[in-house]
Amino acid sequence: MSATASRPPADSAILRARRSEDVVVGDEIVRHRLATRAIHWTVALFFFLALFSGLPIWTPVFGWMAHLFGGLNVCRWLHPWAGLAFFVSMLVMFVHWLGEMRLEPNDREWLRPRKMIEYMRYQGEDPEVGKYNGGQKLFFFAAALGALGLLLSGVVVWFPLEFPRIVRELAILIHDVTFILFVVAVVFHIYLGTAAEPGTFHSMIRGTVRKPWARLHHPRWYREVLGGKTRRP
Amino acid sequence: MAAHNLEIRRSSASLWGGATGMRQLPVVSKFIDTTTCIGCKACEVACQEWNDLGPVSTRQTGTYQTMPELDPEFWNLIRFNEQEFDGGVVWLMRKDQCMHCEDPGCLAACPAPGAIVQYENGIVDVNPEACIGCGFCATGCPFDVPKFHAKTGKMAKCTLCVDRVESGLEPACIKACPTGCLQFGTKDDMVAMGHARVEQLKANGFANAVLYDPPGVGGTGVVTVLGHGDHLEWYGLPRDPRVPLGVRFWKSVLRPLGVVAIFGAVVGAIGHFMYQGPKEPPQTGGEPTGGEPPRTPRP
Repeated sequence: MSATASRPPADSAILRARRSEDVVVGDEIVRHRLATRAIHWTVALFFFLALFSGLPIWTPVFGWMAHLFGGLNVCRWLHPWAGLAFFVSMLVMFVHWLGEMRLEPNDREWLRPRKMIEYMRYQGEDPEVGKYNGGQKLFFFAAALGALGLLLSGVVVWFPLEFPRIVRELAILIHDVTFILFVVAVVFHIYLGTAAEPGTFHSMIRGTVRKPWARLHHPRWYREVLGGKTRRP
Repeated sequence: MAAHNLEIRRSSASLWGGATGMRQLPVVSKFIDTTTCIGCKACEVACQEWNDLGPVSTRQTGTYQTMPELDPEFWNLIRFNEQEFDGGVVWLMRKDQCMHCEDPGCLAACPAPGAIVQYENGIVDVNPEACIGCGFCATGCPFDVPKFHAKTGKMAKCTLCVDRVESGLEPACIKACPTGCLQFGTKDDMVAMGHARVEQLKANGFANAVLYDPPGVGGTGVVTVLGHGDHLEWYGLPRDPRVPLGVRFWKSVLRPLGVVAIFGAVVGAIGHFMYQGPKEPPQTGGEPTGGEPPRTPRP
């Protein structure tokens, strides 16, 4: 702490922001501390590495992506390792976020498509939305499950000659269906996290959100943080 | 093996064919008569020599078969089987190799552009420079022919001696056969020869003789006369080989749907943004200063 004591006061807030979540710093609230952000972007890095090296193997429509890595042979080597790294980082993220992603009774509504449509129309706002809404929690669990499906089927596709034919065929189909659903979900994840909801991307970059953002998107979390309750289990 | 004088009719992982069809070549085929094969293995040796393969250690399995399976350095294997038949025993020799299907499952499954090609004359070939060694072709092949070569990291199989055929020569195995049970020519001629031989066999006590040219894969570039067509399993041949349903579904249904879904998601997100716009906190009244958290939920 002696190192931080000599810094200008402005920095102390940032340093604090990097260590703890759900605290008020000036006009902003710390939503994601540095560890959370680092884990999230590590998962994203390996996801895109695996995606861009896998797409050219999937279809010649994305064949040009192979040139990003130096050809299809490189992709064939890189893809499984990137996928493995993706799974491992996803596992770390799963453990890291599990406590905050516990499903509450209200979150079950998100299983109905009507709720998702309502959300996309900015309707039916729920004042009881905590730090993560039901959609985010569902995406979290779906992504973890998807990563597991991709790993298990991916191992078979990686070493096809070690498995019986029927297993190989099934693995290819599971790998395909899972990754297609995953990519569609990630497209919306990125859209909601950037253009659709301004301020969200900043929270994953610098860690903080502005108070109006918190009050709009996560009202209960906003009340809890400003009410002095800094950490939830 | 790349044949430079032959036009490519079909190529793996290619959405748009490059064939012009300007030079119509007759489809070629091998003819194999299992009933006159004496199991001398001259074709195996000729294959090894011409293709610069091996030497591969043979593996004794207690029969007159050189090794249990095809190998990345052994593309032509005379399978041996002994069966009880009609109060006695019969020795069955069947030449196992790439069947050069008209509708090749390996080519359908292959993800590397140009790694598996089908030439105008029907020969199915692997191009090592394009092959990425993923092994999908082995999943696509109903005959379990392509083998992974650990040393080269590529798949390997019989090329039907395309380098000889494009120069007007017959494949090495055909050249070496001492009994004439192996023949080479146009598919039409070989099928005609096969049917004639089958009739001859039927007239000589082989009531179930057949010409194996399975229609499920569009016919093969290797037609085989079998004395006991009612027992394909004796020869290790599948009854109705087809490109596996999973591979077909994957390439023909799932993949196009997936491409549409991915682009659709992007278009959907853009469309949503144009129609609905961003979800932002109300700008009126300025930002809260931080001291007074609103205790009542917003409507």
